Amino acid sequence: MTDVAVSVRNLRKSFGALEVLKGVSLEAREGDVISILGASGSGKSTMLRCINMLEIPDDGEVTIGGETIGLERTRRGMRPADGRQVDRIRSEVAMVFQSFNLWSHMTILENVVEAPIHVQKRPRQEALDEGMALLEKVGIADKAKHYPSHLSGGQQQRAAIARALAMRPRVMLFDEPTSALDPELVGEVLRVMRSLAEEGRTMLVVTHEMGFARDVSNRVMYLHQGVVECEGEPQAMFANPESERFRQFISSHR
Amino acid sequence: MTPLGFFEIVGFGERGWGPALLLATGVTLAVAVCGFLVGSVLGALAAAAKLSGLRLAAAIGDFYTTVLRGIPDLLVIYLFYFGGSLALTNIGRMLGYDGFLGLPVFVTGALAIGVVNGAYQAEVFRGAYLSLSKGELEAARSVGMSRFLMFRRIVVPQVMRYAIPGLGNVWQLALKESALISVIGLVELLRQAQIGAGSTRQPFYFFLAAAILYLALTTISTIAFQKAENRAMRGVRRAG
Amino acid sequence: MDLAFMGRTFLTLIEGVPLLLELAGLSLSIGAVFALLLATMRLSGVGVLDWTAQSYIFVFRGTPLLVQIFLIYYGLGQFRPALQEVGLWWFFREPFYCAVFALTLNTAAYAAEIFRGGLLSVPHGQIEAAKACGMSRLQRFRRITLPIAVRQALPAYGNEIILMVKATSLASVITLMEVTGLAHRLIAQSFRAVEVFVVAGAIYLFINFAVTRAILVIEWRLSPHLRQAPEGEAPMKPAPAHARGA
Repeated sequence: MTDVAVSVRNLRKSFGALEVLKGVSLEAREGDVISILGASGSGKSTMLRCINMLEIPDDGEVTIGGETIGLERTRRGMRPADGRQVDRIRSEVAMVFQSFNLWSHMTILENVVEAPIHVQKRPRQEALDEGMALLEKVGIADKAKHYPSHLSGGQQQRAAIARALAMRPRVMLFDEPTSALDPELVGEVLRVMRSLAEEGRTMLVVTHEMGFARDVSNRVMYLHQGVVECEGEPQAMFANPESERFRQFISSHR
Repeated sequence: MTPLGFFEIVGFGERGWGPALLLATGVTLAVAVCGFLVGSVLGALAAAAKLSGLRLAAAIGDFYTTVLRGIPDLLVIYLFYFGGSLALTNIGRMLGYDGFLGLPVFVTGALAIGVVNGAYQAEVFRGAYLSLSKGELEAARSVGMSRFLMFRRIVVPQVMRYAIPGLGNVWQLALKESALISVIGLVELLRQAQIGAGSTRQPFYFFLAAAILYLALTTISTIAFQKAENRAMRGVRRAG
Repeated sequence: MDLAFMGRTFLTLIEGVPLLLELAGLSLSIGAVFALLLATMRLSGVGVLDWTAQSYIFVFRGTPLLVQIFLIYYGLGQFRPALQEVGLWWFFREPFYCAVFALTLNTAAYAAEIFRGGLLSVPHGQIEAAKACGMSRLQRFRRITLPIAVRQALPAYGNEIILMVKATSLASVITLMEVTGLAHRLIAQSFRAVEVFVVAGAIYLFINFAVTRAILVIEWRLSPHLRQAPEGEAPMKPAPAHARGA
């Protein structure tokens, strides 16, 4: 099956004695927009970070575009069998962080073209042209020569989205992209994300924005204490929550 | 004479230099302590001058700390060594004594260390004073403390507590600078090692022994200042 | 004060400046490379490497530089036959090489801690972002970690440069006639300690002033992200403090 973009099977991860993921599985097809919900500590961010190996899972399997990431067991736990494979796969999976994580010593445009030029080795001019087009698309082309510290949080996050798009990723991971923003800046970021979803991009979004989960994503997954409590179509899940916990969760996040 | 091994040299046997080296370590410690104390007086004065708000005093304080931190310690030692005896001889001449007068090298050394050390201590004291919270001073004023009482009961204890880590570093500078006093002939640790090296032709062993003893002094100092800091910081929650 | 004498003194002492700059320049540049290695060892997470670097730093920061110089220049003379055998004697026979060697080892220990601080100050999230776009370890270090760390470490390293300029004066104790060595000789000949001191001190202060200014200029040029936004345009609304980069 070639149209499976990401497949995660039976992921386990502990930090010390604390077991954060207790066997989580997920499958995203090309064009899926999956919202991952859950209280803090439910393991949702950890799962996302295991997909691009920012956290190395203790057990389980991650497959991106049909290629399974090789892991090997050592005395100090698991580690990637082939670092270059991980680097290559990471360049196909772009991530947008809660705290933007723009490189402070580079301008916005430099941030956007850094990976295309230095990781993907694309021609410089091409990367610059595409970078400008992406900044245009997220609405901050006028800030191209500014440094991250000159921008508002919403603008920084939109720049970070442009940086992720510049890698022409197969999958985009969003790790609570609006949680660090002042409430009045959330809308501009959500609008950009919605337009990406409408383009048919494959997105996995860890979020607390119920509106986005309900209206934009085509699937919702609710994690509780490291296991998938329930998942399914957003309309059905929100209209008629099958799990009592999920019902409580959505009523407290309105 | 057969060449001595390292442990015979540093040992306390008949041909061992252990006692001499230990005594010299004491001299090192003494000259560094005296220098540090001179530095504390000068440093406190310079910090007060810089913080006084008086333009002339602040300028003098700035000049002192900038200059003394910007020129080599060795140059200052030469100034005190040659300049000091020159000044004394001239004073002697005025009083009718025609011979050469010199300061004891110990005094010269302690003064030279002190003058340099004071410049660094001034910065430490100033930084510590500036980290005092305005609220505490206002509280002192509000309970009717006089300026002097407030200074003695609130400012000094607080400044000392904040200054301890910085003073620890500056003390290490004094300790290490004291090795330079060997060039004007004070028989402290390094000079004693040179003497031993010259008379046995085994310089490596002697300088190695000196290095180990300096390391012991700096290590003990580090631990002592750490202890002092922990004591002084009781009741202060650390950030982060 | 005798101005004519001070003029002559200046002309004499200024001849020591090239040697001073050579000593400081050589040891600082070799020392910086060594320091970077030590700092990387400290941060490697490999016990043996960390411990080795830590011990090195402990020893070289815990003993006076002059003792280190004597240990290398006079001390190694004790092993002259062995050094001749391995063909290293030509190096340790020369006061200049020994001085550069000692200054290099010394500054490496101090600079290593400065670099370590700089490397540790790089925000974790920015490194993670580099990982997430597939940069290799080396690329991450070269393109992200190092540039940010250099900016952070620059003020402290500027201080270290000044300390090294001052430290070159100790080379005079092993016969190298740099500024302090020449000053010492002049004082001993003329007994005019104050005048010579003033001139020599002024030379050092000038050099250190120039170093300070140079560092400030470099700092300013390397920190466009801390300056005003281009076109003098203020940001619409600053990011919340916890989310702001660096």
